Amino acid sequence: MTEHLISPGRSDRLATSSVRALLFLLRARAVLVLLLLLILFSALAPSFLTANNLSILSKHVAISAILAIGMTFVVLTGGIDLSVGSVAGLGGMVAGYLLTQGLPFGGSVHYPGVLVAILIALAVCFAVGLLNGWLVAKAGVAPFIATLGTLYIARGAALLLSNGKTFPNLGGVAVRGNTGFTLLGQSFLLGIPLPVWIMLVLFGVVALVAAKTPLGRHVYAVGGNERAARLAGIRVPRVKLVTYLVSSLCAALVGLIIASQLEAAHPATGESFELNAIAAVVLGGTSLMGGRGSVTGSLIGAFVIGVLSDGLVMLGVSEFWQMVIKGTVIVLAVAIDQLQSRLQAKFLPYLLSASPEDAQ
Amino acid sequence: MSDAAPDIVLEARAITKRYPGTIALDRVTFRAYRNQVNVLIGENGAGKSTLMRILAGVEAADEGDLLLDGSPISVRSPREAAAHGISIVHQELSTLPNLDISENIFAGRELVKAAILVDRPLQDFRSDAALRRLRKPMPVRTPAAQLSLGCRQIAEAARTLDQGARILILDEPTSALSTAEADSLFQVIADLKRAGVTIIYISHRLNELLHLGDCFTVLRSGRVVGEALRAEVSRQWIVERMSGNAGTGDVQSRVPIAGAPELLVVKGLSLAASGTDEAAQAPLHDLSFTLRRGEILGVYGLLGAGRTELLELLAGSRPSLAGQIILGGKQLHISNVADAVKAGIVLVPEDRQRDGLIPEMSIRENISLGSEKGFFLSRARETLRVRELAGELNIAARDLELPVTALSGGNQQKALIARCMMRSPSLLLLDEPTRGVDAVAKLEVYRILRRLAAKGLAILFTSSEIEETRTLADRVLVLCQGRISAEFSSNELTDESLFAAASPAVSSAHPSQSSELHAHD
Repeated sequence: MTEHLISPGRSDRLATSSVRALLFLLRARAVLVLLLLLILFSALAPSFLTANNLSILSKHVAISAILAIGMTFVVLTGGIDLSVGSVAGLGGMVAGYLLTQGLPFGGSVHYPGVLVAILIALAVCFAVGLLNGWLVAKAGVAPFIATLGTLYIARGAALLLSNGKTFPNLGGVAVRGNTGFTLLGQSFLLGIPLPVWIMLVLFGVVALVAAKTPLGRHVYAVGGNERAARLAGIRVPRVKLVTYLVSSLCAALVGLIIASQLEAAHPATGESFELNAIAAVVLGGTSLMGGRGSVTGSLIGAFVIGVLSDGLVMLGVSEFWQMVIKGTVIVLAVAIDQLQSRLQAKFLPYLLSASPEDAQ
Repeated sequence: MSDAAPDIVLEARAITKRYPGTIALDRVTFRAYRNQVNVLIGENGAGKSTLMRILAGVEAADEGDLLLDGSPISVRSPREAAAHGISIVHQELSTLPNLDISENIFAGRELVKAAILVDRPLQDFRSDAALRRLRKPMPVRTPAAQLSLGCRQIAEAARTLDQGARILILDEPTSALSTAEADSLFQVIADLKRAGVTIIYISHRLNELLHLGDCFTVLRSGRVVGEALRAEVSRQWIVERMSGNAGTGDVQSRVPIAGAPELLVVKGLSLAASGTDEAAQAPLHDLSFTLRRGEILGVYGLLGAGRTELLELLAGSRPSLAGQIILGGKQLHISNVADAVKAGIVLVPEDRQRDGLIPEMSIRENISLGSEKGFFLSRARETLRVRELAGELNIAARDLELPVTALSGGNQQKALIARCMMRSPSLLLLDEPTRGVDAVAKLEVYRILRRLAAKGLAILFTSSEIEETRTLADRVLVLCQGRISAEFSSNELTDESLFAAASPAVSSAHPSQSSELHAHD
């Protein structure tokens, strides 16, 4: 029986190939937009395609890309993490505090080494991720509310650490043995900035987990149909917890990188970064309803946003117009996403029956 | 037909409705007689609810006409249906729990004064009047969340009455009601009839139908298979037409399992009733039974009897109140699904779309979901195992990498059985194993389950279909209002005895049960 297929007629079969082409273009839209932007900006601004500019551009992109990569898993489960910007700020401030203020210990002040300072900063942010995950997975708080709460908590904690001031001179003092923090954000490896390497490594790991591990598949399953995932024996709370931990750790790295680049930790660092990260994820084709999307998409989405804003700056477009353009691009992307899924659902039977023999 | 025209108030003529994969209604002609209780009977999937949704304007028919008082009408929305005086009280109640009774009665059609303000006094007055007509006066400002299910039903009936309904459709109104609540609903129906309202009544409950009905129509697999007046209708007449005693004996000969070891022993399993909304659960009272290796045990019961609750309890998705579950001689402590899976118990849920499939994923990923092991997936090993199972279960798919939504209902069901078999279980639970599956695929699912049982798998399934229960089960337990009311072996099973055991008695003939009722009146 071919009961599950609406048998297409001859003319439909001809239409099938154009439908396929259209769907392919829609699916590859982020890459196409990125290419388009690159061509456009290199034509309009001669200095756009220079090694120096691309290096600066990639550093900017790395920041939002790392956040977006971390955010992807959360969004794939149908959640959202609004706290990443604040967590980035907190991570930088913890490291800044340890490097400049040290820890009072038995009457004297001890200055931990750079590595220890970084690890402690990561651990503090890990705790925020744990709190997010616990609130969402165990306490049943809506992700939007839970992470909105931790957004304020983490930002407040960052401000409390310095009473609102900036920790300057994170370069360290040789006598204290805590120099070298600046390497994280400012050094190069094979001519490529270290933050870009960090972005690439994170991308590789997270993409691998998404595609090749049971955890990755469970993330998609939870987002696709949480009830079904639970009834299939998947430990849904654990999966959700892991996604928030990944997100917070990526945010912490971003905070550390920025502090290292600036050689200063500012408590307001990362404000509204969560919006850039979400925008990148959504531009990359990940559905906010969960279950559909990819880490690669998020990386491309981050590039689109980065190229767009840097390119517009180079063209001398006013900051206000930049915001309008960025918003338009995001809204268009999501609208096209809806169009794509509707078209795909509509044409699925045609696409399936395009090959001659049908299932019995 | 024209000679009977004066009596027919609403006629659905040659209605056909197709869904992807199945024909829900196949040229169905249904007549509702004026001022009568018109009973529509049929098993799950027979097309009753689809037909009613078409009458009420919730869905459109692909072919066919609706005639009201002999002239064709078009009903494209519930609003249009209401304008013609046709109203429906859905099986799943649509009361809004956060609003009070009078707000519910006027939800979506609020009365206004001064052009923009809601006229609460008038709404309250008319609500009160409608409730009085139903002889069920209640304080109209009571929040719906505080009402029992029976009272909510009355509020919905009041809503339809206030809308001037001439034809009231009640879709399985008693499935979630206690005996006393059902009795008072029957009172209301009698009152409505007297007030000149035509009732279309859908139910599986035989006793209730024989008690209430004036005209009977039986649907089976989307076709009308019987039409008669009360005088000509007997219990046997209904059961024969509903179950369609034909051509199903060929599923496969049964393997004698009398000597097989007992695998599952359930003792004193109980569950408290809770909730009134979609999360409502029926109570279970002190269930005890056993299941042998290689045996297929059917649990038959009507809607609300506690079938799904029993399976979900065994599968770990619902915590139990009391009782023991012993599997293979070991007492189990199941607190979640993962525990049950580890112990070897797996469930194919009733609602595939809601509880089973991940629509975004491929057939392969859906089948292997939950049985992935280790840190990295082995695509090759997984594909091999899935392909093997897909072959064994006859999953007809051109390519296992296609989205699972590309499969027909029957093949989706087989994919979910395959997901369960990936875990090499010792006990397979199926909730309505062939819901939404066409007739041919149904028999195939039965054959597959027989084959699995012959290999030593213990199978426990629940069904609200007599035919399915008769065809598939070696032994049948009948659940009625949370209790085991009868047990049959396959050779002593008759359709009538099964149905009788499942039907709760009409009228308060069971004074012993009154302690657990929570009717408000």
